Amino acid sequence: MRNLIGYLLKRAAWMILTLWAVYTVSFILMRSVPGNPFSGERSLPPAIERQLKARYNLDAPPLQQYWDYLVGIVTRFDLGWCMGLEDYSVNQVLAEGFPVSATLAIFALVFAILLGVTAGVISAVYRRTKADVILMFAAVLGIAIPNFVLASLAILLFVFMIQIFPAGGWGTLKQIALPAFCLGLPVAAYIARLSRTGMLEMLTKDHVRTAIAKGLPHRTVILRHVLPGALLPVVSYLGPAVARVLTGSLVLEKIFALPGMGSHFINAATQRDYTLAMGMVLTYTVILFVMNTLVDLAYAIIDPRVKLQ
Amino acid sequence: MPPEVRRGFVIVAGLLAVAAVIWAARMDHIPPADFAFQNGTDPSTLDPHRATGQPEGRVIFELFEGLLRMLPEGEPDPETGLQPLTPQPAMAERYEISEDGKTFTFHLREGIRWTDGTPITAHDFAWSWLRMLHPATACEYAYLINEVRLATEYNGSVVNIGDKVEVELWDRPGETPTSEANVQHFPRGTMKYGTLRGIIKPDAPEPAENSTDDQREQAQLDWEERWIYEIEVADPNAEGDGQATLERFAMSAEVAASDETVQRMHGVLVDFKHFGGAQAIDDRTFVVHLNNSVPYFLNLVAWYPLFPVNQNCVETHGTPLWTKAENIVTNGPYKLKFRRLRDRIRAEKFMDYWRADEVSFETIDFVSLESQNTAMNMYETGQLQWVWDLPASVLEELKDRDDFHSAPKLSIYFYKLNNDVPPLDDIRVRQAISMAIDRRQIVEQVTKAGEQPAFTVVPPGIAGYKGPEGLKGSVEQARALLAEAGFPGGRGFPKMSLMYNTSERHRPIAEVIQQQLQNNLNIKLELKNMEWGSFVETVQQEKYEIARYGWVGDYPDPNTFLDLWVTGNPQSNTNWSNPEYDRLIKAASSELNPQRRMELLRQAESILATELPIIPIFFYTSAEMAKTNIVGFAPSAQDLHPLSILRYRSDDAAPAHSQD
Amino acid sequence: MKSEADRETLERILAEAREVHGVSLWQDAWKRLRRNRTAMISLWCLLTLSVLAFLTPLLPLQSPIDKDLDNRRFLPPNLSSVVMGSRPGLKFAGGTLTGELAEFNESIESLRAQFASDGPDQQRQIEVTIADRIEVEHPFNQMWNNLGPVAWWMCEMRVAIFGDYAIPSLFGTDKLGRDLLARVFWGARVSLIVGIVATLVSLIIGVSYGAIAGYFGGNVDAAMMRLVDMLYSIPFIFVVIFLVTFLGEDSVKKKLDSVGIDQITIFYIVIGAIYWLTMSRVVRGQVMSLRHEQFVEAARTVGASSWRIVFRHLVPNVLGVVIVYLTLTIPSVMLFEAFLSFLGLGVSPPDVSWGLLLNDGVEALSIVKVFWWVVVFPGGALAATLFALNFLGDGIRDALDPRMKNRD
Repeated sequence: MRNLIGYLLKRAAWMILTLWAVYTVSFILMRSVPGNPFSGERSLPPAIERQLKARYNLDAPPLQQYWDYLVGIVTRFDLGWCMGLEDYSVNQVLAEGFPVSATLAIFALVFAILLGVTAGVISAVYRRTKADVILMFAAVLGIAIPNFVLASLAILLFVFMIQIFPAGGWGTLKQIALPAFCLGLPVAAYIARLSRTGMLEMLTKDHVRTAIAKGLPHRTVILRHVLPGALLPVVSYLGPAVARVLTGSLVLEKIFALPGMGSHFINAATQRDYTLAMGMVLTYTVILFVMNTLVDLAYAIIDPRVKLQ
Repeated sequence: MPPEVRRGFVIVAGLLAVAAVIWAARMDHIPPADFAFQNGTDPSTLDPHRATGQPEGRVIFELFEGLLRMLPEGEPDPETGLQPLTPQPAMAERYEISEDGKTFTFHLREGIRWTDGTPITAHDFAWSWLRMLHPATACEYAYLINEVRLATEYNGSVVNIGDKVEVELWDRPGETPTSEANVQHFPRGTMKYGTLRGIIKPDAPEPAENSTDDQREQAQLDWEERWIYEIEVADPNAEGDGQATLERFAMSAEVAASDETVQRMHGVLVDFKHFGGAQAIDDRTFVVHLNNSVPYFLNLVAWYPLFPVNQNCVETHGTPLWTKAENIVTNGPYKLKFRRLRDRIRAEKFMDYWRADEVSFETIDFVSLESQNTAMNMYETGQLQWVWDLPASVLEELKDRDDFHSAPKLSIYFYKLNNDVPPLDDIRVRQAISMAIDRRQIVEQVTKAGEQPAFTVVPPGIAGYKGPEGLKGSVEQARALLAEAGFPGGRGFPKMSLMYNTSERHRPIAEVIQQQLQNNLNIKLELKNMEWGSFVETVQQEKYEIARYGWVGDYPDPNTFLDLWVTGNPQSNTNWSNPEYDRLIKAASSELNPQRRMELLRQAESILATELPIIPIFFYTSAEMAKTNIVGFAPSAQDLHPLSILRYRSDDAAPAHSQD
Repeated sequence: MKSEADRETLERILAEAREVHGVSLWQDAWKRLRRNRTAMISLWCLLTLSVLAFLTPLLPLQSPIDKDLDNRRFLPPNLSSVVMGSRPGLKFAGGTLTGELAEFNESIESLRAQFASDGPDQQRQIEVTIADRIEVEHPFNQMWNNLGPVAWWMCEMRVAIFGDYAIPSLFGTDKLGRDLLARVFWGARVSLIVGIVATLVSLIIGVSYGAIAGYFGGNVDAAMMRLVDMLYSIPFIFVVIFLVTFLGEDSVKKKLDSVGIDQITIFYIVIGAIYWLTMSRVVRGQVMSLRHEQFVEAARTVGASSWRIVFRHLVPNVLGVVIVYLTLTIPSVMLFEAFLSFLGLGVSPPDVSWGLLLNDGVEALSIVKVFWWVVVFPGGALAATLFALNFLGDGIRDALDPRMKNRD
């Protein structure tokens, strides 16, 4: 237990360091990209632009801006006001968008894991049967069709031909079903393939063979001895999968008109909304870090050979 | 790690997953609104003095109301389908215009109220106009009322010795004489009024040889902060200069601290409050004085930047917090119920609105939607009642439907040319390129909404103005011109790049023009797309050759399309300069006779259409779908759609709608 | 006598040993792969596809860029024949590409003949003019965009062999009246190269990085993985925008051109640099669980260097997972290319890639009218490639697996 706490503390320290590094790199990158938050179809009179820059502290020397903003984040968790969506602070944008994105991501991931692992296990156990071929065929298809194509096809099919789902919007479980499906399917397909590969590898291991030879029930062998090891690649994929689900939702948010935070990212970047973009980057970093920590923990739990360090 | 712990973790993980799903499954369903429509991207702000775009405009037009409001007058034009909109009395029940067209007197209605229940007075308008013009508000539309007395000086912080001025002391809430500025410029610090008697300037800084423009500007600003203003302060309401005292002010904390007689202040501006062109005579009378008459001034008064905002609300909550749904105080037909990012703005009927019994929809949704296909899908499934951004691929199918509306808009699509880059500096080359572009093909086969091919810059349909024909040449002429310019058969013509911001609209147009120039003139264009931020920056730094642009008229007058191309206009970025053109535009701006003025503008436009510093492609047309059971929906030239006058057909039977 | 027999036996054993020794991991894998029928079919499919993509200019396809807006917008798949260069807007002599070509060549010849008697100086000048005219006025410019010398030569061959014949629009046409079949083929040229090169870049970086981190563990691993975490979070969209503008500067462009780095190279590097992160995490995870295995310990006891252990013993053991991941990366890279085009890095019109075709296709998927062919065919091409890649990947993984040796 003690090494667990020590491990978590260490990770936290790393996280802060990473956040700081990400903050610095992003800050420099954003300022070196051409354009500014106030460039529009018509160029602003210089006097007005100066007033706006003053409002957002953009008139201070870069180092001063860097420091002021950092202090604000560290002491007050205050990411500042958005420069594009003027009426909102970055914190409010995140507070509104995050639950939506998280909801979508949870549904997509749960769906993906359940479907993917089941499919992977079945096709590994019944290797070279029809079930295996069909499942893997479906998995490849799931990966092969990009989710924006999938979403458009799904809308044609389930919204207009068979009218069971609404075309878009947010608020009911029905409205989540299609986007979660489209978001989760490629991940499910990945997981199916990874878990199948893992299973096949484990099935050739000596201790598994021994177990089978001992006459243990097939089900027990699979669940006790094969699955934990076979899921290792799946678990290590989960970190990236979360990232994928969060960023992949971007296109789907647009297609299904969902109020998630994914679409803010590209918009913030293209509109040079420095504060919002920074907020998104930092949030994203925290999520990834937490997920990766969980993945490493899970590793240690599933695989006794791995020690937390 | 012992196995029990390990098993425990697996169980915990499972429980966590279940908890997560349960949390995710909670849903707050909201009932659909009476009327929902596509509003484009999220409105960036609901502050009428800060907003600029169309999505913002649509919301503000319903939440707020000005002295006048653009409303339909008469029947739609049978040819174009355009519904004429005119400025009609709203918060003002009537108005008078002086004979010279320079003084406007507005009489407010009785009993009009804000959503917080307080009455709306002429002072609210005076304060709102002041806020709009205040430099720190940074209202982009402030230039529209440049002709209002002292507006330009106030907005541009111009003061001269002898001017009546206002001084705001450094004592806004939370400020101490040495503190940082409070960025909230309302409520203001202690105000002092008087006459500027002198400015004591320390030695001007000597910028280093190699300093950048930014550094020079910074040095200049630092220097100006150290100026000491000597002002004869007097009570503006008292007659005469009897009790005037000479006081000294400076912006720099350092200067104020070093000299006891100098008070720290935020800045010196002309005294717009007492001497400006927007004055409240009493609670119900608001008078506007112009320096010169502006023929379209009433249109401006009905434009949202001149709508009133509630002083108490703004000063209590500050900008931008006052626009939150729980804080905002408005005066329009609808009031804000809630606002969800990337989702919708829900507004509900304001019961105390002066015309509330004529407002039919109880709730309306401004739905944030960026994807054309999604909007179309939601329209078809009945989630939206009005969409205005239709996918071009199916326009031909939609055109024949009953719920399709289309009408010309006051805006133009064109290509900017960088006239400094050879061979675009040669007028023959520019003309050849223009002639080689088949605009008919573009509007009929690519954009397909019924746009008009453009050979000039001012869209048709502005009352009293008939533009020149423009240069319509054949491909043969274009080839001849190109040969004359030294590129026979296109030989030797450098590869040019055509820039556009990333969009599914601009790419096909650029691709077709690329083919037309290749086919007709053997000119190779390289298409370069950029995302918006980089695109704008590149054009403004004039590092482009050809770039696509669009322009929407701010007011129905040719000037809004023509004064862009005057030498030195920051919007131009074409490096094109023509003294005769500049002269004509200038002459037109001071010409009082409308007919002669239009003639001057027409001459200017014909220079533009011959020299072609920009290549007009087409005039936009709106293409929108609205459910057929909506009464009162019609396209308008400025693309305004007052929602408060719309209702459903089934309402016809309802007795509640009496005409006031 | 006995020694003779001994020697013989010895020689035989030696020879056998030599033979056995001669079979490397790869030869062995290849042998096993050849026995896997699906994998071999996939391999052949991919090879055929690559060859066809390379030979695209030689195939009797329609022009991928010529837009017949007036008559051929959104035509569904059909068999009606098409003559190259027959679009009226082209104003080709005789309404055919060959007709125009003949006329153009004639005018060049006559120009040459006209000045044949002139002195060598003028001759040279005339040659320059002619080269200039060929570059600018040649009818090929209207049908194809920016052909390289090889592609130009192939186009000439194509016209010589097939004349004005072109395969009918079997895949239909798009919103601007271009033949989709031709565009899918020309798009394959871009997409395949992008997919393969960028994935290789990501493979090389990702595998080495992940394997090193996983093997050494401890602080090395922590530091390396934190770097990956950080890079994950760096908003690559800013990196790309920055690169696009920075590289767009004329001075930088010239400098890079002089070293032979063009935009497309940078593009590969950018994609590869973004995609190696996940690869490295996957590899690290595998290596971490393998590094306490007996064969690693064994290698360590016999004194193998860490370097050798990582790349000789660990990497081949994780190749299975790597290859599966690799076959998944290629298609996402192809689609990512379309997103980078959005930011201004990647192919620009009239050139085309599968990603762009798919984007256009989805845009045309409206409920009012479904132009299914604009999304089905590019999507089908992508999916088919992916299927082949995938089965090949599975095959290679099985073939590489040392435990599969001598089975079946």
